[in-house]
Amino acid sequence: MNETKRDGKRTMKAIARILREAKPIRGWLVLSCFLCLCLILCTVSAPKILGNLIQQLYDYWSGELVTDDLLGLILKGLIPLAIIYISLSLVRLANMYLLNNVVSRYFTCNIRIRISEKIKRLPISFIDNTPVGEILRRMTDDVSHMGTSIHSLIETLSTGFLQILVITILMFFENWQLALAVLVITPLSVFLSSAISQISEKYFHNMFTESGRLNSIVEETYTNYATTKAYNYEKTTIKRHEEINIKQRDAEIKATFISSAVRPCITFTNALAYIAVNLIGGWLILNRGVSVGTIVTIVLFAKQIAAPLEDIADAIGNLQRAVTSSERVFALLDREEEPECTGTFGEEEILGDVKFEHVDFSYDKEKPLIKDLNLDVKHGQNVAIVGPTGAGKTTIVNLLMRFYDPDSGKITIDGHDIGEISRNEVRNLFGMVLQDTWLFSGTVAENIAYGKPDATREEIVKACDEAYCDHFICTLPKGYDTVIGDDTTNISGGQKQLLTIARALLANHRLLILDEATSNVDTRTEILIQKAMDKLMKGKTCFVIAHRLSTIVDSDLILVINNGEIVETGRHEELLAKKGFYYQIYTSQYAI
Amino acid sequence: MKKILVYLLPYKKKLICAAFFTAVATVCDLMLPTLMSDIVDNGIYNSDINYIKKYCLYMLVVAVLGLVTVLIGRKYSAEVTSGFCCDLRRVVFAKVNTMTFSEMNELGTAALVTRSTHDTETLSWIASMLSSSIVSVPVLFIGGVFLSFRKDVLLSSIVLVLVPIVFVVVVFIGKRIEPLWRISDGYIDKQNGIMRERLRGIRVIRAFDNEDKEHNKIADATKVMAENIINANVSMGVIAPLAMLILNISVVLIVYAGSFRMEQGINAVSAGDIFAIIQYVSLVMNGMLTVAFAIIMAPHAKVAADRIAQVINAEGIDDKIPEEDIAFSGDIVFDHATFKYEGASKPAVNDITMHIKAGQKIAIIGGTGSGKSTLVSLMLCFRMPTEGAVYYDGRATTTLSHKTVRQNISCVLQNSSIYSGTIKDNILMGKPDATDDEINEAAYIAELSSFVDGLENGYDHELNQAGKNLSGGQKQRLSIARAIIKNAPIYIFDDSFSALDFLTEANLRTKLAKKAEGRTQIVITQRVTSAMNSDVIFVMDNGHLVDSGKHEELLSRCKIYKEIYASQTGGAEK
Repeated sequence: MNETKRDGKRTMKAIARILREAKPIRGWLVLSCFLCLCLILCTVSAPKILGNLIQQLYDYWSGELVTDDLLGLILKGLIPLAIIYISLSLVRLANMYLLNNVVSRYFTCNIRIRISEKIKRLPISFIDNTPVGEILRRMTDDVSHMGTSIHSLIETLSTGFLQILVITILMFFENWQLALAVLVITPLSVFLSSAISQISEKYFHNMFTESGRLNSIVEETYTNYATTKAYNYEKTTIKRHEEINIKQRDAEIKATFISSAVRPCITFTNALAYIAVNLIGGWLILNRGVSVGTIVTIVLFAKQIAAPLEDIADAIGNLQRAVTSSERVFALLDREEEPECTGTFGEEEILGDVKFEHVDFSYDKEKPLIKDLNLDVKHGQNVAIVGPTGAGKTTIVNLLMRFYDPDSGKITIDGHDIGEISRNEVRNLFGMVLQDTWLFSGTVAENIAYGKPDATREEIVKACDEAYCDHFICTLPKGYDTVIGDDTTNISGGQKQLLTIARALLANHRLLILDEATSNVDTRTEILIQKAMDKLMKGKTCFVIAHRLSTIVDSDLILVINNGEIVETGRHEELLAKKGFYYQIYTSQYAI
Repeated sequence: MKKILVYLLPYKKKLICAAFFTAVATVCDLMLPTLMSDIVDNGIYNSDINYIKKYCLYMLVVAVLGLVTVLIGRKYSAEVTSGFCCDLRRVVFAKVNTMTFSEMNELGTAALVTRSTHDTETLSWIASMLSSSIVSVPVLFIGGVFLSFRKDVLLSSIVLVLVPIVFVVVVFIGKRIEPLWRISDGYIDKQNGIMRERLRGIRVIRAFDNEDKEHNKIADATKVMAENIINANVSMGVIAPLAMLILNISVVLIVYAGSFRMEQGINAVSAGDIFAIIQYVSLVMNGMLTVAFAIIMAPHAKVAADRIAQVINAEGIDDKIPEEDIAFSGDIVFDHATFKYEGASKPAVNDITMHIKAGQKIAIIGGTGSGKSTLVSLMLCFRMPTEGAVYYDGRATTTLSHKTVRQNISCVLQNSSIYSGTIKDNILMGKPDATDDEINEAAYIAELSSFVDGLENGYDHELNQAGKNLSGGQKQRLSIARAIIKNAPIYIFDDSFSALDFLTEANLRTKLAKKAEGRTQIVITQRVTSAMNSDVIFVMDNGHLVDSGKHEELLSRCKIYKEIYASQTGGAEK
């Protein structure tokens, strides 16, 4: 009981929020409600007129009505009926057009743009911890559900409830006994259909679960095809697939059968209403002198009262979904943003002295990562970060670039605390080449000029020449105007890396962050990458996630990281002499 | 299409039952308006309350009969469509599992997944939509027309003319809308694509202070997407009001024609008849709408069916040689083996001759595209040499069952394959009847123990699909444990240590050497450090075997090996 109450409250809150967000289109929504009113008028007046017409025909046929011009008489009623029918369709069309345009253009589209805007200001930690698919789902599916909820709200509020109310009143005016019969029986069909839908929902849920499992078996078997074969594992896989296949079939049979029972049940209860109306109506006609037209009108009304009831049941289902969706969307829109920092480095040129002073940091409060880290890097120095894979080497990069901020302590550049300086200005100091090369879909030239949009073609070509990629770019079908992207296959991983180096060269920042490539690069490209990186590093303060011996040995400071912690710092010789973790790594890698 | 329909044959009886019961139910549906008009015309006209009661009872009987038969019919048709699709899924999946690698590559993994999942779902969906209307609509149409003809010819001709018009109009509009949906879906994908790109590259974007630029791209794409969604929705929304309009116009026409007939004095048409015909029209019209939608969807069904047929028609593997239960010694010979992919201009591996002796530890090194992995494919019989041969203990692979060969190899392939299930399930793939001790040992050797010990459920820890909850290194170590527990005479590691740090790799290899003592070990790698301790190192370049020998020998004479070494050590002296 309490739960339903809470659910109700939640729903109301979400709907109120949706309506508040829909403020810009409120005027249009009111207009749509007005159109709905017109719709109801048309819908309810049609049965009345048609009933009258049939009554006249009946009277004529039974000899009660004597006239020379039956056609003329009928036409008098028929023309308004035709007009009502036509306007009914026209108003429905207009309302559909209006709602679709307004909702899509000014509501869902705006919310999507606001989500995109919001992402600009969200901390990297949120994006790191949220799967991409999750954010995309909020932006597309969830927002569409919210859009549908607006349609549903209008339909339930105006068309649904009002139409039912009006028809009920009219039926009572027509004949109270018949009205009562309809009112008792018709909701039965709605109740029945919603009950069946609820049951079938459960089975559909089962069906989707099984089909999800089936799909993942299929996917993993096909992607792991070679291993499956190598381990002679086909039989087992086929058996696993078949087990779930059968389960899915059984769930599907139940789900489709039960859901397909909804319509027949509605038809059946409608027939019951029909029978009741006839039985009571027949008796009324004979004993109370009720007219045939009344019965026809009531039968038609009964049909019209069933339709909105079904719509309401649907709309309530939609609303439920919209509530969950809108909560997810609003949770994203209301998320805490990165605090704004407005400080600047001032006019003077930045040399690139970097200091870490008592820096503490952790991604997860329970697992402290960096404790009281102190570093002093002079401009032009070269810092190598080494350690096993997945040990947290990128944490230092995250702190330097202000993707994350230290929990305590401070990082300074030329004496300025970067925590007080606007993030963009801090990031503008750094050039960055990561192993995970990121290129956006666009031309090669656009990608190179990503950090310097006003670069001329000469500058771009010069940077590429220095980064040893001019040659291969020229072999591409359209040279610098070839469109590439993240999933491009016509350039290799190594070549992508060269492009990101060219991008960093062109932007020419005071400080550098480099992640040396390790795998999937052929030998020759790798040599080029290293030459290009060396060129890039010249005269700059560099932080290098190092894999190469030469980088490590020559660097001014080595940070040895293990399990996210900095376990040793010092120069190559000092660390070797220590015979600690660095010594272990070094000997396992290079000594025979 | 025919190929697919064959799979309906086992359901012939159920199909006939479904059709029969649906037909009965439809007739019941049609009888209701007739009974109603009888009540009005006879019962009420004659003030015969008993007649009314009697016919109301008839109506009740017919309604109940209609409900019962329709439910039975639906039950049968659900069994048929779900069973049919279940069979299709089984056949497709089994077929794909017997495909050769070239067939697999030709169709592509993604396409095959679509065929086994999405396409069968489409078929099932359309089949169930059709199954409920394919019988009932013709019955409705013929019955409706017949009944209204009985009432009055002129009135029924209105039904006969208008219903097909609705049908044609809906199909016509539907066909036009269909592409609009596809276009709008395309724009949704596009917007998603840009967003995905932005989220993936968020660090670079922020590093270059380009968030505004990326946001504007998305805003523009979103606006274009909205326009296209509106377009598709609005076109779709036209159908219902339009069909309703035609239905209502036909009602007006029927009333008009009815009164015209009545005035003519032909005593054939009653008020009840007119009312009954109005009811028929809406019944038939509703049925027609379902068929119209089914026809709009039909091309989808055809596409899906054709694509599934393409899989079923694939030839499948020809592993016709009977499986033998023999253990290899581990002696492998490549004799002038060449392999060229179909349609490729250059062979992937060219004229390879090498001898791997039983019990040797060898390494094959080379850059990407040098042909290393193709050698693995040849050894595992994934591919057969186009020229030359591969021999195990002197027997060519063409004379051996693929299963026999694979039984003798413990392999870890590139992109470690993880299956959903527990860690234990994944390890047991290598040896289904292994004891817990064996599992522990394999995990210990593969440097997996400390990871497993840290898990709440240990070896029963559930893995996500494709091991998404594991890091690259954990996946590799798990795959290695699987190979170790199999402990076959030949070990192949294809780039299997790349995600491990040097320390872990060194520990693992030391323990492995002990366990695999006397077995042939083949390591395929790009890393000199993984290769340098081997008995023989084979250097591949551009599909050719350029040299072989020990680390020091190669370092002194092989240019390519020297290059690789230099690039990985940064040219520094060791």
